[in-house]
Amino acid sequence: MTRDKETQGSDNTGWRCHDGGAIGLRIANASLAFAGTPLFENLSADIAGGQWTCILGPSGVGKSTLLRMIAGLGENGPVAGITASDGAALDQRIAWMGQQDLLLPWLSVSQNVALGNKLRGEPADGARIASLLADVGLSERPAALPATLSGGQRQRAALARTLMEDRPVVLMDEPFSAVDAITRARLQELAARLLRGRTVLLVTHDPLEALRLGHRIHVMAGRPAHLGTAMEPPGETPRDPTDPALRALHLALLAQLGAAADDPSNGGAP
Amino acid sequence: MKRFLISLLSAGMILAAGPASAAEKLTVLLDWFVNPDHGPLFVARERGEFAKRGLEVKFIAPADPNDPPKLVAAGKADIAVSYQPQLHLQIAAGLPLTRIGTLVATPLNSVVVLADGPIKSIADLKGRKIGFSVGGFEDALLGAMLARHGLSLKDVTLINVNFSLSPSLMSGQVDAVIGAFRNFELNQMDINGRPGRAFYLEEEGIPAYDELILVAKNDRLGDPKLRAFIDAIEAATQYMINHPDDAWKLFLKGNKDLDDELNRRAWRDTLPRFALRPGALDKSRYARFATFLKAQGMIETTPPVASYAVEIK
Amino acid sequence: MKFLRPLIVFAGLLAVWQAVVSVFGVAPFILPAPLDVLTTAIARADVLAGHAKITILEIFLGLLFGTAFGTVSALTMAYFRTARAWLLPVLVISQAIPVFALAPILVLWFGYGLAPKVVMATLIIYFPVTAAFYDGLRRTETGWLDLAQSMGASKWAMLRHIRLPAAMPAFASGLRVAAAVAPIGAVVGEWVGSSAGLGYYMLLMNGRVQTDAMFAALFVLAIAATAIYFTIDALLRHALSWQPETDPARTF
Repeated sequence: MTRDKETQGSDNTGWRCHDGGAIGLRIANASLAFAGTPLFENLSADIAGGQWTCILGPSGVGKSTLLRMIAGLGENGPVAGITASDGAALDQRIAWMGQQDLLLPWLSVSQNVALGNKLRGEPADGARIASLLADVGLSERPAALPATLSGGQRQRAALARTLMEDRPVVLMDEPFSAVDAITRARLQELAARLLRGRTVLLVTHDPLEALRLGHRIHVMAGRPAHLGTAMEPPGETPRDPTDPALRALHLALLAQLGAAADDPSNGGAP
Repeated sequence: MKRFLISLLSAGMILAAGPASAAEKLTVLLDWFVNPDHGPLFVARERGEFAKRGLEVKFIAPADPNDPPKLVAAGKADIAVSYQPQLHLQIAAGLPLTRIGTLVATPLNSVVVLADGPIKSIADLKGRKIGFSVGGFEDALLGAMLARHGLSLKDVTLINVNFSLSPSLMSGQVDAVIGAFRNFELNQMDINGRPGRAFYLEEEGIPAYDELILVAKNDRLGDPKLRAFIDAIEAATQYMINHPDDAWKLFLKGNKDLDDELNRRAWRDTLPRFALRPGALDKSRYARFATFLKAQGMIETTPPVASYAVEIK
Repeated sequence: MKFLRPLIVFAGLLAVWQAVVSVFGVAPFILPAPLDVLTTAIARADVLAGHAKITILEIFLGLLFGTAFGTVSALTMAYFRTARAWLLPVLVISQAIPVFALAPILVLWFGYGLAPKVVMATLIIYFPVTAAFYDGLRRTETGWLDLAQSMGASKWAMLRHIRLPAAMPAFASGLRVAAAVAPIGAVVGEWVGSSAGLGYYMLLMNGRVQTDAMFAALFVLAIAATAIYFTIDALLRHALSWQPETDPARTF
């Protein structure tokens, strides 16, 4: 896998394998238990490359845990059975974005964006930082401390940081849930544009967000959890939420979520 | 009728009992933790000399020897055991105190060195480290002693060892100590196998003085309790001289934790030094020491002795 | 302008002090009047300055060594579980023993020079610094650590770039406590055995019944200790200028 400079483009769209296809994720019989309770048991799923896959589900079902499992986070280290679709390991090919912006308060916006480089002891590309900040609309505030930024601005900085990592797979855990509706809508459009062509796995609790951004939508349910059949809404992302074609899908999703919440194997209400 | 007579009798008995014969209370602040230097005080108590004179005496040992005179001067206690040299400084600082009696009529302070050490005379202190515990006038005493040998305080290093006199000397951290009581530290060092040699201050150019005295606040001098106290001390001292071993047993009665070799030896060495006439005062002796302190620059004036030392009536 | 309020408070305290002395007729050997203390302080300024230099040096060295040992201990305990099991009790005991009790032993071991005072000041601040820094190291936001891990950071990189800066506010708190208590260690050391320093001078003046001089030394000590505290506080606030201050009293 090499970065193909020609297909790169100045707005960082496209991250393609040499053979033209982006890498997907293959989860094969992955299991994870926590304090004796199995969260996932022989979970198998294929996440398509180059597309946005959204995962919905009731609270506590394990959506964040799934992302963390794929990212190799947590005390138990990498879980067996999770690989890239080209068979190689996912090491260093994933960028992870948590629920909070996780900006380090003692670093400026630019320094936060270049955090990955700093941690790995690599020199950071100043021009690229500036370009990314311009993309997310923060070029006025490169030296600002996170404490001086609004919630929306901080999420944008986090987005820039994720992009700086330039990884083919991007895992996002409810990244826009902490901001108001207008800011959320803007951030969704920004993310959809800047991450186009990458393999994105987005966890969200908002079915409308999933419908706006997802090429495939799964509802996670049960304990141990499993991913339901994918819903594939039509049309280019980001979709228009007022589109009547989405309404039926919205209702269907709500029904699925309701059923998932009432699933007895969940062990009761969240 | 019978009942009336009984209640009349009871009332009469209560009235006839008179005012409660409560003994008069006296608070006496010691200069240090209880030790054989306080012999007459405790023997007096055990012999009933205080009770006999209608006194109920409470002894309190302070943590800081500098406190008792100040507390008496502030009216918080009746009598303090203090030191004559200190009294001169206190009077110079304006404390309203008067010496009313003497407990130990000779100096106890001495310069002590290791017996097997290189210091054989005061002159050998040149260039040495001398430990002291803060009393306030150690440099005056040392200065006078050194001057006799053509030396000054600049020729020695003074280090405050805070009452750790024997340990610092025995461990070699200092070459000599001043402020060691000859009846105590010498015995302590002997028991620990590192005997000391003492240079007695009064033999090295310091005018003789009373090591332990009793002081009271100026406005209390007319109080008959004070005279009664002195009388009790006098009686106890007399008993100690006449019956030293029995007196020691009496001292131990109230101070069981002092029954060891060190205190036994200290008792023996202190016995000849107690004031046989605790109430008596030698004015010239006090004036002489005041003059000495003035010459050393420790005090500025020498007020008349009668203003701070009396024979209490 | 910022100094006006503390100066007013200070002047007020002096006024109260003077009032207490005048109204209650307190004897000068118990509590001297502020004016007497001031005149004595000025008259003996050179002597006081000499002693002050020594005590300040002891405090400073105590802070230096205490902080050094404290940081090393905290890092060791955070990263090595066996070290933690053994060091934690030592830490607690070091705090439980009153310094007064240890002082004579230290003097016997280290003599009467600067060493025992520095050791005592070090001992007194070892616990606050270690405990605070250790706490800070352990309580790093898990989110940041997750992020770092996902970015492929080594354990060393995580320590250097995340745990250490994140632990700085806690460390600063410990250091502030240390700055406040270090003078105690230095002065206790002087009381037990010394030939110089403000603590020694206070003792000497107490023995000579020169209470105004004793208070003058006490004052100089208080001023020195306060100055040291505020200097360290200012340095810390500058170093941690990224920390937003949320004032609990602020009304929204």
